[in-house]
Amino acid sequence: MKTLLSLALATSALASPATAADLQSFQVEKGHYQAILGDCAACHSKAGGKLYSGGEPLETPFGTLVPPNITPDRETGIGAWTKADFRNTMKNGVGKDGKHLYPAMPYPSYHLMPDEDVDDLWAYLQTVEPVHHAVEANQLPFPFNQRIVMRGWNWLNFEPEPFQPDEKQSAEWNRGAYLVQGPGHCGTCHTPKSALGADESDAALQGATLQGWYAPNITGQKRIGIGDWSKNQIVAYLKTGSNGHAIAAGPMVEAIQDSTSQMKDDDLQAIATYLLSVKADDEDGGGEQPKPLASDDSQMKAGAEIYRTSCAACHGMDGKGAEHLFPALAGSAAVQQDDVSTLIHVILAGAKGPYTKDRPTAPAMPSFAFHLSDEQVADVATYIRNDWGNAAPAVSADAVGDARGAD
Amino acid sequence: MNRRTFLTTTAVGLVALASGVAQARSISGAVPWEAFAGEPPTPVTPGGWHFFQPREVVLMEAIVDRLIPADDLSPSGRDCGCVVYVDRQLAGSFGEAARLYMKGPFLPGLPTQGYQNSLTPAGRYRAGLAAFDKAVSDTFGGRFETLSPGKQDQALSELETGKLKLSGKVDGKGFFALVLENTMEGFFADPVHGGNRDMASWKMIGFPGARYDYRDWVDQHDKPYPRGPVSILGNIVQAKAG
Repeated sequence: MKTLLSLALATSALASPATAADLQSFQVEKGHYQAILGDCAACHSKAGGKLYSGGEPLETPFGTLVPPNITPDRETGIGAWTKADFRNTMKNGVGKDGKHLYPAMPYPSYHLMPDEDVDDLWAYLQTVEPVHHAVEANQLPFPFNQRIVMRGWNWLNFEPEPFQPDEKQSAEWNRGAYLVQGPGHCGTCHTPKSALGADESDAALQGATLQGWYAPNITGQKRIGIGDWSKNQIVAYLKTGSNGHAIAAGPMVEAIQDSTSQMKDDDLQAIATYLLSVKADDEDGGGEQPKPLASDDSQMKAGAEIYRTSCAACHGMDGKGAEHLFPALAGSAAVQQDDVSTLIHVILAGAKGPYTKDRPTAPAMPSFAFHLSDEQVADVATYIRNDWGNAAPAVSADAVGDARGAD
Repeated sequence: MNRRTFLTTTAVGLVALASGVAQARSISGAVPWEAFAGEPPTPVTPGGWHFFQPREVVLMEAIVDRLIPADDLSPSGRDCGCVVYVDRQLAGSFGEAARLYMKGPFLPGLPTQGYQNSLTPAGRYRAGLAAFDKAVSDTFGGRFETLSPGKQDQALSELETGKLKLSGKVDGKGFFALVLENTMEGFFADPVHGGNRDMASWKMIGFPGARYDYRDWVDQHDKPYPRGPVSILGNIVQAKAG
């Protein structure tokens, strides 16, 4: 009986023309997905705060910016904005009343989004709970606090053009390229920046340091990129936070929790296809492969002993870790990066993996800041970069001291 | 239904009634976590005496050197820091019996009832060492630390058996047991507490200390574990030395 009734209801729903309200809710739903793709929450929300009511301060090389409140509150949010204001913000970096934005707001990426998607996002943001919370976004020092300087910056660094599909590539590849370069704004963290803070487009996705973390190379490079990962491993990493061997840490944890874990599988597949196709400068064989340090090197010997007492219980003497629980260090790109910020940060501060529907454990590593001296962190980091087939330059105690001082 | 079943079921029923409707709730989300979190152990501060007075230090060092003499197996109790360990314990919560019920009435108990006296461990050491010092001088014709090792052993043995009587309210047998127990603690406990210097006792018995991964050794029978001991503070101690 119940089945019959629901069948009847479903039939009538199909039969009746979509109402304006239906269309609107459909648009809001699509807009919600745009918010996931663009990961608005990463910057515009903060832990313990209301959704989109303003985020944690961003430390940029130019000074501090605070992501503003984008709830529909009229006074402190974007409740008094028009759809045109919003479009102009997303696509040109120019907010209401002609106010120039700083590219910490990734409009150089978002401008690739079609108007329809931006409008959907606008429709969705209208439905979010308005929160009265004033945020002073611009906390930059002079002269950077003069928004007018962004005009010059945009003239030099920003060409607002729509996404150009590559006809020679598959539809999936093009979807991936659009997601990575556009709403996903992966390059905001993973692409090195010029002295002006603009993307170095010829080094796209080859890794960059920000806020004490190194956002690694995510090109198809084998040793320090993700070229050794299968497409499915990339999808699993983005969807669950773990691909069995690598587990996300640092700012990527939030990107996975708030954004990629909620993306559609097709989109994740597209992203993986695209990323694997991106070739880095020093493609395998082209760049010089470092040789592992000798095992009788004094740092290696000291590091091995520290590893045995402090690390091996979880990561294993073979460096293979435990699937989905403790990341493998053997073969890990994160461990062998030239830039050791992330490696040092994880050893000193500890790390916690993402919490996702598929992998709710969110395994964590404890802080070793109190336990190991600068020399010891350097020794053990040097050791794990040069055993089990890994090879990377030694880490100096000074680098650890600098990182410790910065935190 | 026997009486016991009846009583049990009634009790369960009453508890269920009192707690009312079950408020089942499923909780999900990540466990809270903080970067740089940690509760490092605090090593005892070296140097000086926090509880013992100079005379007590002389006496204690002479005593622990007889309880754990320097020999082929290990350095002496004094050199291993046993007196430092006891000193810091007596200056802290152990000394003031913070975890014991210390209000009256104080009546002699049975051996199975444990310590029943009103003195805290700190008080027992203060009174006990003074009384032992005097009893040894009176009985053996010299201060404890000046006696020959044989005579020192005899004095301690007589304290242990109760033959050497102490004045005041200290029970000599109980006092000896306390000193012996605390000396062994100082000898075998992690160096973080001030004793077991250089992990001497762990090296002596082949205890590898605060290691926690023996998977490589699970199926290797009848072989001694080859690696030296690690202290809870191991790495900090190394860091300070280096």
